[in-house]
Amino acid sequence: MSVKKLAKEDFAKFVEALIEKDNVIGVQAKGERFDFAPLESAQDLRLDYDVTLQPPKKYFLPPKEVLMTFEVGGAYASEYEDETFVLLGVHPYDVVGINQMDELFSQDNYDTHYMKRRNNATIIACDVVTPSENVFASSMKTAVVKEGFDILLTDLGDSYVAEAATEKGEALLAGAAEADDAALQAREAVWAKNQKALNKHELECDAAYLPKLLGRSYDHNVWDDMARTCFSCGSCNQVCPTCYCFNVQDDVNWDLKTGQRERCWDGCLLDGFTKVAGEHEFRDQRAHRFRHRLYRKAKYVPAKIGGQIACVGCGRCVGACLPGIANPVSVYNRLIDDLGIG
Amino acid sequence: MSKPTIAIFDFACCEGCQLQFVNLEEELLDLLGVADVVEWREAMSEKSDEYDIAIIEGSITRLEDEEKLKLIRSRAKVLIALGACATIGGVNKLKNNFDDLDEVKKCVYGKDASKPHLATQETKSVGEVVDVDFCIHGCPIDRAEFTYIVRCLVMGKTPEIPEYPICVECKANGNPCLWDEGQVCLGPIIRAGCKARCPSNGFRCFGCRGYIDNPNVEAAKEVIDKYGLNVDDLKTKMILFGSRQEPTIHG
Repeated sequence: MSVKKLAKEDFAKFVEALIEKDNVIGVQAKGERFDFAPLESAQDLRLDYDVTLQPPKKYFLPPKEVLMTFEVGGAYASEYEDETFVLLGVHPYDVVGINQMDELFSQDNYDTHYMKRRNNATIIACDVVTPSENVFASSMKTAVVKEGFDILLTDLGDSYVAEAATEKGEALLAGAAEADDAALQAREAVWAKNQKALNKHELECDAAYLPKLLGRSYDHNVWDDMARTCFSCGSCNQVCPTCYCFNVQDDVNWDLKTGQRERCWDGCLLDGFTKVAGEHEFRDQRAHRFRHRLYRKAKYVPAKIGGQIACVGCGRCVGACLPGIANPVSVYNRLIDDLGIG
Repeated sequence: MSKPTIAIFDFACCEGCQLQFVNLEEELLDLLGVADVVEWREAMSEKSDEYDIAIIEGSITRLEDEEKLKLIRSRAKVLIALGACATIGGVNKLKNNFDDLDEVKKCVYGKDASKPHLATQETKSVGEVVDVDFCIHGCPIDRAEFTYIVRCLVMGKTPEIPEYPICVECKANGNPCLWDEGQVCLGPIIRAGCKARCPSNGFRCFGCRGYIDNPNVEAAKEVIDKYGLNVDDLKTKMILFGSRQEPTIHG
């Protein structure tokens, strides 16, 4: 696949042309922060952003969606959104998040709702220009990505290096000039810098060691200590690019004969998340729920996706947690300090 | 199967939650297709002593209202508390913050304070007087939540009313946290279900849906310290809907 170079003004034209022919979701300012939103003009695009409020996950797994319509006791039909779209400006750590979700939603019971959206998406990633206040992607080895996007953009000041990684990406970049050696070297320099610089919280072990660390930490007092001030508000879940738990509910229409089955986000920190028939709740302690999230990130989910740690170091949970206890690195480092690496 | 009958009663309140029924407009006809409304003072003149579902709006502030509510409870198979006044006592509970209720009455009613129909007592939520089967929270209620609950009951299903706090819906809406913008938002301790309407429009949560079942007081203390505030800063924000609420923190 090819690597191209576009002057910034040509890139703006590229974006305008993209907006003409597809639904483009791009990163834009939202107050003093940033978020993904439908892009109407290249001028609104902010590829210099630090981090978005929500990860791009919601375009594949919306906070609420209709899975199917049904007749009570009768026929049913799946409902799908089936429109192409472009996600423009996905940071490498979020690309890794999407890659992990793809694996999870395509294994076991293949999730057609997620995968249909995913297959309709074109992902244009971009290397980080402004590290966010809480990013620790360097620690999680997600500061730079080599796969999982259609195009990867790297900002070189007055131009972008644009690498096509798929046929889709190749077609979009067809008209652009090849990148010269100087541009490729400059891109290597950006990668080398980001591999170290996206590290506002530094994990004191290799991320690959985390599943073993947690294997020795289930009864550690860190869980009770940290969860003492946990609101169980699920903010950490709600902003996480790799939290994918959901609830499913039926609602009937006023005719009481037809209805729809809806799926909405859930969160393992929430009181009631584990409530089952008969009002039994098997994780009713805050500390147990607090522990569960971090075990999902660094032990349970990794076991399902070839050992990849399911925390990509975006740092959103760190910023979203009002009492300031959600930072995974703080917890893992405390365990390392206490238990050592062995 | 015959349609279930519904009776709607109001006590101390602004009747704004009932107004939300009227605001259903065409959907009101759908509702009347699945249930018969047999008493509803705000919208019809008929009355009835027989009903399956009693919907109670307003808080209880007089002895005679307590008696009336108990009678309604004895007649209804299902009793629903509607809106903040009914579910948590609402703004009417502000009065309970004063020790001398006679003084409060004189302040409000002046020379008429001694008239018999103004013989009021401490404000109670509906649940402090009778057993409540379901709460429809909010000031005012959310129409979509109300119609969902009605459909569930008619179908014989238990409606799912959120046990989690506002932050869940607020974050899903992609909002920045209002605490970071200097607002003392009650979102982390207040029950969701309103789709975080106030914070999504830039205004802190007032707490009209009442506290979640298990709010974390330790966490609240930690957060007010972190933001350089004191307990009174938080309490003044909680007073509007959270006054003397302890006995009514329920589902």
